[in-house]
Amino acid sequence: MNKRSYRSMPPDDTVGRRDFLKAGGAIGAGLIMTGRSLVAAQQTQGQQPPAKPAGPPPKPKTNIDEALKIPRTKWSLPGPFPGRVVEVHDPAAMPEGKVDAAVVKAMFEKGIRELTGKSLEKSFGLFFTKKDVVGLKVNPVGPGLISTRLEVVDAVIDWLTAGGLPRKNIVIWDRFDYMLKDAGFTAERYPGIGLEGLQTMDEAAAEGKTEDNSKWLKADGTHVSVPNFDPKVFYWADVEGPKDLPYLNQHVFNGKHSYFGKLLTEKLTKIVNLPVFKNTGNAISMATKNIGYGAVCNTNRLHAPLFLDVCVEVPAFWPVRDKMVLNVTDGLRSQYDGGPDKNAKFAYIDNRLYFASDPFALDMVCHNRIVAKRKEMGVAVNENPRFTEYLRYAERLGLGIADPAKIAHVRV
Amino acid sequence: MCGSDRPRRERGSGRIAVLSALAAFLVFAIAAASAAACGPPVARQTVPGTPAIPAATFAPGWAMAGALRTFTGQDLFNQIDGGAELFLEFGFANLRLQAYARDKAELTLGVYEMESAASALGVYLMKMGRETPFPEIAARNSGEEAQITIVKGRYFVQVDNLGDVPASKAEAAALANAFLAGVAAEDGPTPLDALPAEGKVPGSERLIRGPYGLQPYFTFGEGDILQLRGKIFGALANYRRPDGAAFYRLIVPYPDAAASAAALAHLKANLDAYIKVTADRPDGFDFIDFQSKKGSVARSGAVLDIRFNVGD
Repeated sequence: MNKRSYRSMPPDDTVGRRDFLKAGGAIGAGLIMTGRSLVAAQQTQGQQPPAKPAGPPPKPKTNIDEALKIPRTKWSLPGPFPGRVVEVHDPAAMPEGKVDAAVVKAMFEKGIRELTGKSLEKSFGLFFTKKDVVGLKVNPVGPGLISTRLEVVDAVIDWLTAGGLPRKNIVIWDRFDYMLKDAGFTAERYPGIGLEGLQTMDEAAAEGKTEDNSKWLKADGTHVSVPNFDPKVFYWADVEGPKDLPYLNQHVFNGKHSYFGKLLTEKLTKIVNLPVFKNTGNAISMATKNIGYGAVCNTNRLHAPLFLDVCVEVPAFWPVRDKMVLNVTDGLRSQYDGGPDKNAKFAYIDNRLYFASDPFALDMVCHNRIVAKRKEMGVAVNENPRFTEYLRYAERLGLGIADPAKIAHVRV
Repeated sequence: MCGSDRPRRERGSGRIAVLSALAAFLVFAIAAASAAACGPPVARQTVPGTPAIPAATFAPGWAMAGALRTFTGQDLFNQIDGGAELFLEFGFANLRLQAYARDKAELTLGVYEMESAASALGVYLMKMGRETPFPEIAARNSGEEAQITIVKGRYFVQVDNLGDVPASKAEAAALANAFLAGVAAEDGPTPLDALPAEGKVPGSERLIRGPYGLQPYFTFGEGDILQLRGKIFGALANYRRPDGAAFYRLIVPYPDAAASAAALAHLKANLDAYIKVTADRPDGFDFIDFQSKKGSVARSGAVLDIRFNVGD
């Protein structure tokens, strides 16, 4: 198994990566948040910040209002169990660092039962029909250490097929095709199950080993993966992507549009989100980031100016909002620092799975848990409310619950 | 030391201590600032030659697995997107990655060449976690079975042991040592020397060179709020008062008094919305944060002495 590192979400800024470097990072990395989140945070916290003689530039405009205009459906976020988060712990899940599939399957059954109040068999109908095409959004970053465990995916597939869903109606997916393979999601391991990356990337060109871009760049100057994205469904932000070829290779587009994958807009009818429990800087990279940055292309440009807001605004669009019915965060092995890439120093076996239809409540629970873990381990943690403000923003949009007082956190 | 009982007096004595501690560090800072103006990072290397990536002979039965992969400058985004910011902020030159295999065991050597030894140290301190050295490694390191994190000279090195079957600790150490043998140590003053010794919690020292490194500690404001400009190292550590209360202290030595004054002015003008100033002075201010924890910023000459998360 080839262990590659994370590639899907580089930081960016409105003047491009090289200019960022020339500026010595003065523009700030992705988590140096501005604008919308902060203003909203002040409203939420009821605190009145002092007037500022100077301040950062306003946050770029986005087309979030377009997303909110589209009527909701019975499947829309936060799903049938707003604010309910089930945490299942079994110390026998990963003996000696190896997953015990039978234990994980039992944990999965327990989690679904506690979330829904029904058996696995009966709960199927709460989320799916037998005609659905269900996409399992995994996180393949940090394979071998901190990627979504295959055994968790197995448990979901067993549940779906037991409910009557044909294997051909299940698709394991991520942004990048090669990352799925690296993390063990292969046709041999998953016979009859679909495996799809929204895009490809020529690694040799990305690494500068070759100047031959013909494997990914068409004669008309467009990326070969352009047809995989839906030109009619997009997240727009007033931020240009960098115009260099490496960026285009990695992100397919480099304008102000982040198009949704056609997999989401045309093929999948439901999504099960399967992130892992890990940090990104001082924030978390779990349910909402896995889908927020996984469902669309051209995300690099969004990182600095809109970082965590993207975790709210992309899921607010119908291909996610009306299809993502369940989230299961894989905390069998978790990582409290050094993320989003793998870092063994901070990874630990935790033997937990978290279940929710509401990804924002789920992330709030997991954020608080990672803060506690960082404190326990003596790692610095910045508890400034701005790092969870995006979750409260989601609550204001009606996408989920972020207020801890309204969250039912059930431990099993 | 900034508690409500005796804040001003101790801040004054603290400044004197800082100035004393900075004496040795100024040599480093001036040299670094001078070097920063002299050209691109690679051109500033003083170590003769580039240490070679080891052949697979570091231990019996091993073979190269795939070709050497190299990432230079901003191309690091192509390897560790989402994790590249910290390296770039500290001054990244290039990364070489080489995998080795023996049956189902796999070791991957990652060699990050940084601008300077201080840059490499800065990354290492952020990545080492609770430092647990493997004594068989011929450099400062923090080891786990799955990954060894190392710093020597201007090189930050990681050995990943993530194959389906783990390699032995001796094999991982042998690979690391095979590379380290070609790396010259770069001893001398480091930016950490700016930190006063009294009350400092051992092992808590960190370097800051921009917003990404500062982020887990405190939010003073947005962007490059301390005007470090990707050139200036701040030194940070956890401190304990005699009564046991803990706080963070960040010492930033700017190139000159004008630069520190400009940084202080920028900080005052763009202070985080959750920080409330409780006492303002021409050379600094006191504040409380959203958790009602206290802090202070004091400028003396070219230096900002910042304390935060000060409990009662």
